[in-house]
Amino acid sequence: MLDPVPLFTRNAAFGAAFSPLIAFAVIMIFLSGRRRAAAAVSIGAVGLSFLCALALMIRHFGGQAPLRYTAAWAVSGDITVTFGFMLDSVSLLMLLVVATISLLTQIYSLGYMAGDAGYSRYYGFMSLFAWAMISLVISPALLQLYIFWELVGLASYLLIGFWFQKFSAGRAGKKAFLMTRTGDVFFLLGVLLLLSVGSVDILQLNEVRIPETMGAGTAALAALLIFGGIIGKSAQFPLMTWLPDAMEGPTPVSALLHSATMVAAGVYLFGRLFPFFHHVPAVMTAALAIGAISMLTSAATAMVSRDIKQVWAYSTISQLGYMLMGLGAGGYAAGIFHLTTHAGFKALLFLCAGILIHACETNDIFEVGHAGARRLRFPTACMLIGGGALAGIWPFSGFASKEAVIAALAGHPNPVWAAAAVAGVFFTAYYAFRVIFVVAFPEKKSETDLPGHRPTATMLWPVGLLAAVTLVSGFFHKRMTGALDPQTAAHGHGAGGIWLPAACLALAFLGIYLAWREFGRKNAARIGFIETKPALYRLFSERWYLDRLYDRLTDRFIDRGLADLCKKSDDHAIDGFLHTLANGVAAWGRLVSGGHNVLIQTKLLVLFAAVFGLTLLLFFAG
Amino acid sequence: MIVPYTHVLLLAAVLFAVGMLCVVLRRNLMMILIGLEIMLKASAVAFVGGSLHNGQMEGQAVTLFILAVAAAEVAVGLTLIVCIYRQTHTVSPQCVEENACRLE
Repeated sequence: MLDPVPLFTRNAAFGAAFSPLIAFAVIMIFLSGRRRAAAAVSIGAVGLSFLCALALMIRHFGGQAPLRYTAAWAVSGDITVTFGFMLDSVSLLMLLVVATISLLTQIYSLGYMAGDAGYSRYYGFMSLFAWAMISLVISPALLQLYIFWELVGLASYLLIGFWFQKFSAGRAGKKAFLMTRTGDVFFLLGVLLLLSVGSVDILQLNEVRIPETMGAGTAALAALLIFGGIIGKSAQFPLMTWLPDAMEGPTPVSALLHSATMVAAGVYLFGRLFPFFHHVPAVMTAALAIGAISMLTSAATAMVSRDIKQVWAYSTISQLGYMLMGLGAGGYAAGIFHLTTHAGFKALLFLCAGILIHACETNDIFEVGHAGARRLRFPTACMLIGGGALAGIWPFSGFASKEAVIAALAGHPNPVWAAAAVAGVFFTAYYAFRVIFVVAFPEKKSETDLPGHRPTATMLWPVGLLAAVTLVSGFFHKRMTGALDPQTAAHGHGAGGIWLPAACLALAFLGIYLAWREFGRKNAARIGFIETKPALYRLFSERWYLDRLYDRLTDRFIDRGLADLCKKSDDHAIDGFLHTLANGVAAWGRLVSGGHNVLIQTKLLVLFAAVFGLTLLLFFAG
Repeated sequence: MIVPYTHVLLLAAVLFAVGMLCVVLRRNLMMILIGLEIMLKASAVAFVGGSLHNGQMEGQAVTLFILAVAAAEVAVGLTLIVCIYRQTHTVSPQCVEENACRLE
């Protein structure tokens, strides 16, 4: 049995979860016109969440037993749905990550979104997202998690389509929502299946004897269905094309939602249910396969993309694939650690990209380089740090987490996954440093000043803090592994010894060297090795024709299929029925109303007929 | 009774039907009046048959009353028709209703 939860913990957890909700309500109801007040309320609320998360982390991280506080919300027969929170090491870690990055991006937005017409609405939606994400992280049961999963998707839709006057933004928001929704259908089916056979409580699902009590087939089916939801939310193959389009939203939104927190919710769910999934080999293999496919395809597309935010978006898909591969191979601590470090350096990269976009008023990396982004030395240096972490260079945080994932993969019996991951290291380093070299070492710098705004202090401080975190968090690996997964920490180094990290480091440097040769040198051709092969270039830049496939499918089955059917049914069946009814009533009314407009003789005829009928009735029945 | 009772009643019924048809189908107020008369006669025939069948004289006395009533009614009806003619200059039953006449 678990220890009772101390009052401080309970208050801190609820404070962390509910203060952004109160901020959202206050901002949307009262503060639509007052921009500074809205920003202050939102930042204050998420700051409070951050302090609560920090306090909880300091007090409870590393504890063995999870802290659980629930209340029964709905009871039906022997199925009880509980609401509340459950704090263990992974949820405390994720809570801190979410709160920190929410706070930093909201402070960054003070400068980035200044002057925007929907300023208050922006901060309202950011608070909504913070509430939903924090509540998702601390959920004790799958049903509550699903509710907040959907709310996070709603916040994502609202924030991607924030500049809704632009048609592409609204379309991107709709696409993101629909694609994640498609995954969520599977998730809901899995939750319902689990609800029908037993419970959706996470602690109960993670017990050792679950496959016996539930039946191996049911457990496998439920796990695969839930994994379907993870594919949708974490933008893995085949539901991955919404994430690059989601870059239509403001850059802080991309940094918060679509790199660090929301898309990581899928991986986080996998980590939460890791003991449950571990019993089902099918799901582990599926995670490995889909993670590998996503990682390689999106890395390929990142190598030829020209939009700076889209490169980082493909990189997010790729790194999420890495995390899923790590978790699928059984490396629980490795996957979660990579999730944490990725949140840090990917948010850093996005925020730096936002500074460059603001300064050069363009998203294209070549134009950013030409406009002289190099003059912004601090953001460029921070981007270098983020890129180094992404490529997996020591001493940045990405090195430690990537090594952990690859070590976990090397321990897997099938060597193809480790080979795919190692190949991915090369591609990651190449595309990351391609962007950095194109931006920092352009062909010819422009002499005029930067066309856009220079970054303000509120934009530079979060970037600097994240860069500092990226530099040091790699050294917390041992401590984190010890807290998350004590058995693995006791083993020490994973399989592969020392030569595997060395080989990956060498490959990363090889990728950087190739990027240098093609883009960084003085007289470089500035054409990537992919672009020299047009067929490959077309394949990669069209996102492997997935978008075309989806367009064709929606056109065939939804527009010309289901929508057509519905329209026909609406026109003929419903409208036709209503028209007939109305016309019939009108005709009947005309008939009856004309009854008094006839000749006297017709009325007499009716009278005679009635009397005759009555007579017959009385005669034969009387 | 020489003629069976049912035959007399049948005659009365047929006469009544003929009178009804005449009232309903004719486009002349005079003919409507004639139809009414025929219906009255039909009821008189029924009364006579009844009196013969039951051997009571009251039936035939009622017939005399019917004749008197019919005469009075014809007088009133004809006066009405004359008044209608003065208003609409026609004896069509359609023109009794307002705006239903297609003459003039």
